Amino acid sequence: MKKISFILNGKTAHAEVEDNEVLLRTLRERFDMKSVKEGCGLGECGTCTVLIDNEPHYSCLTLASKVNGRDVKTVEHLGNAGLLHPLQEAFISSGAVQCGYCTPGMLLSAYSLLMKNGDPDDNEIKEAISGNLCRCTGYIQIVEAIRNAAGICKHQS
Amino acid sequence: MLPEFASINPETKEEALAYLACLEDVRVIAGGTDLLVDLKRGGSCSNVVDVMNVAGLKGLSVAGGDIVIGSTVTHAALSRSTLLSDAARSLSVACGWIGSPQIRNMGTIGGNLVNASPAADSIPPLLVHDAVLSIESKAGGREEALEDFIVAPYETSLKPGELLTSVHIKGLPGYREGYRRIAKRAAWAISRLSVAWAVREADGRFIDVRLAIGSCTPMPFRPRNVEGFLRGKEKDDSTIGKAVAMVIGEIRRITGDRPSFVYKLPVVKDLVQKALRD
Repeated sequence: MKKISFILNGKTAHAEVEDNEVLLRTLRERFDMKSVKEGCGLGECGTCTVLIDNEPHYSCLTLASKVNGRDVKTVEHLGNAGLLHPLQEAFISSGAVQCGYCTPGMLLSAYSLLMKNGDPDDNEIKEAISGNLCRCTGYIQIVEAIRNAAGICKHQS
Repeated sequence: MLPEFASINPETKEEALAYLACLEDVRVIAGGTDLLVDLKRGGSCSNVVDVMNVAGLKGLSVAGGDIVIGSTVTHAALSRSTLLSDAARSLSVACGWIGSPQIRNMGTIGGNLVNASPAADSIPPLLVHDAVLSIESKAGGREEALEDFIVAPYETSLKPGELLTSVHIKGLPGYREGYRRIAKRAAWAISRLSVAWAVREADGRFIDVRLAIGSCTPMPFRPRNVEGFLRGKEKDDSTIGKAVAMVIGEIRRITGDRPSFVYKLPVVKDLVQKALRD
């Protein structure tokens, strides 16, 4: 077992984790962050995406011990049912959510992009979500949602 | 599910090498994008040494004209480095194509080389830049050219207790450089064929041409006979046509005829032609 401390969605978090424990399991089972989904478990589908130091990572292939001292964000950081983030609002209004399984990962990849680039073009958006697979809506609505959210975020700031 | 193992997170190179020297059935983890997939698919090991926090394996620097890349530098960092985009453009372009954004944030150059896939995007540009690897163990260190380090697909000369610590490349100022690959789709796909190049020309002649072909033969390779042929030759369609035919001859010599050649050889022809003509 290993003791780790990290920042989870802005708050200090402590845990004792197994040596072979992946971050996906730590977040879901020890911190009840059920937004982090397991899809393929092999780093291909992107539904387990979390931000580590604001960059997207596959939590299914990240040993939990690696985030000691780092900043981890899940989609819970963005907003809640009472007050959604503009990205979340845009996903709803663009019809970018169908089954919803890929959505938390998509949102985090998009959020990481918008932190670095407030005015991305469609190619930059597609590139940013290229590690997240969606099998329902396809990508047109998702790209549109991210483009719209970028406009709103820019306007608000 | 991952098998049970003990993991260790050393912070210095000495500590890491000491663990590698004394632990049984030990494997090194950096980004984890290859090792954890292997372990989840049935691989096993009793101990894992995580080298990602080891200070001496991080960062890019310039030493005596060489660019020194720490083995745990991520593909994302390499693709964003202005040092590389100036002095080793083919490498920064190639690293920007590896996997997905998540894989590039996690995976490292050392991991890409130790995994030694015939389709590894970083290898052709590193061959073009005459990459030499520093390998250390508790007993001492050695240097080896990347060309010799990879001995077979997914197999390297790394011995138990050894750790790849850095990659040394020569910058190629005055060369035009590039990397192109063909895959089943543009992003998040494994290269089916790739070419890295660095070309120096003057007065309509090739002065020095370096080519490396990936995903086509058991190991990415440099067709040195073609590079020798091009030295000093006039840059025209006839020279380029001969060079392309020689590259294809070299691939046939290495692998014999393969069913995939119906597709691959015309693609090689096209990519090499474009690299030389540009």
